[in-house]
Amino acid sequence: MDCEQIIELGYSEFSKRIHDKAAGNRIPINGGIDITSRCNLRCAHCYIEGTSTKEEHELTYEEICHIFDQIADEGCLWLLITGGEPLVRPDFSDIYRYAKRKGFIITLFTNGTLLTPRITDLLKDEPPFRIEISLYGITAATYERVTGVPGSFQRCMCGINLVLERKLPLALKTVAMTLNKHEVHDIRKYAESLGVKFRFDPIINAGLERTTGPLEVRLSPEDVVALELADEQRANEWREFCDSSLVISGSDRIYTCGAGSYNFHITSTGDIAECIIARRTKFSILGGKFHQGFYEAIPKVLAQKRTRYSECMSCPIINLCGNCAAHGELEHGDPEAKVEWLCQVGHLRVAAFKAGRPEAAKA
Amino acid sequence: MGNGARIYAKNSNMVARKIAGEMVLVPIRQSVGDLASIYNLNDIGGRIWELIDGKATAGQIKDRIVEEYEVAPEQAEADLTEFLSQLEHMKAVSPVTPVQSAS
Repeated sequence: MDCEQIIELGYSEFSKRIHDKAAGNRIPINGGIDITSRCNLRCAHCYIEGTSTKEEHELTYEEICHIFDQIADEGCLWLLITGGEPLVRPDFSDIYRYAKRKGFIITLFTNGTLLTPRITDLLKDEPPFRIEISLYGITAATYERVTGVPGSFQRCMCGINLVLERKLPLALKTVAMTLNKHEVHDIRKYAESLGVKFRFDPIINAGLERTTGPLEVRLSPEDVVALELADEQRANEWREFCDSSLVISGSDRIYTCGAGSYNFHITSTGDIAECIIARRTKFSILGGKFHQGFYEAIPKVLAQKRTRYSECMSCPIINLCGNCAAHGELEHGDPEAKVEWLCQVGHLRVAAFKAGRPEAAKA
Repeated sequence: MGNGARIYAKNSNMVARKIAGEMVLVPIRQSVGDLASIYNLNDIGGRIWELIDGKATAGQIKDRIVEEYEVAPEQAEADLTEFLSQLEHMKAVSPVTPVQSAS
């Protein structure tokens, strides 16, 4: 009998070990769920805003609980609760408590504007692994130019303060776009002054039903890379990535990113999807069909092969641009299509971060 | 067994999950544990966790372990005592007071 029945692992070590095992065995350990598509903000870059999912049947509390039961039984450990804005649901607390009792390690994405003392007390009592609040500007003018809702900046800052007062595991993030690019640096400084993690995402995709509104606030590829160069940590990460991870895919599969391998996403209407933006599977798991969705419906999508040659197949910097089936689908209605904007970002990243550009990356 | 008559109950604020063949204890409340660390139970630890039900004594659990695994009773007793002590320290279990029957 081994006397070490309890092995206390550092979180990173544990996470890597389980992810390695899950990848090899295709176990759905990483899940996300939109508990709603509704939101109290009207953000310019939102990929859900303006789509019909907001009008369709929204998962009930009972349906969400049943989904939590199923995914826990199937081995899901890390759960992202997102939306829409999760806190628009009056039953958010009940949903959150149920998820905690299933033993998920929870990350909560929120815009922070609907956080109240009551909600943050619950989060203090039963803490998530992390709360990520999107902060779109460091001034009310910029923030509200993005969100379209007067007074939302003040409410977001109040939400951040409630989380800080309770010493909850907070991370701040932003989406960099034309409306707020001049404040991204200051948002980082603010996060650093609070001692919380920060990241920004400059990649804006088209809406879920090919709505093009988000593309109007997309940065130019030059601005994307300029922001990344100005961010020391980000720049160093790209330099390291360029040194280690430039490979030619060569695959004839449409999906080469790992979506749907040990991760999945559940939409606010109860469909299972390969990832948060790749929603080609369109398989309802309502009525206890998660197993069928993950082990039958998603693999059918992942097994799809390209019907034509794409230069992405032999591109040595494919890992730098982010071109994937989801982006092609959203922007062109074709998962095999290349998104030119992403391609330009990728080539500029090579020029900025890699010493000795690969031949194929030259203009 | 010194503490063989003791009975332990699981703390309802600690959830056991079997993930990729491994038993993991996930605390619900902050006071129960620290998510900076994860409590991973090995095969026998997971089996002992299953046997802790608020009714079985530590001695009875030890007997089941001896039956099911190739382990000497003395070794099983020593290891079980240490394991239960660790679980108690983590507030994953707590000793329960058996109901005294009237005589």
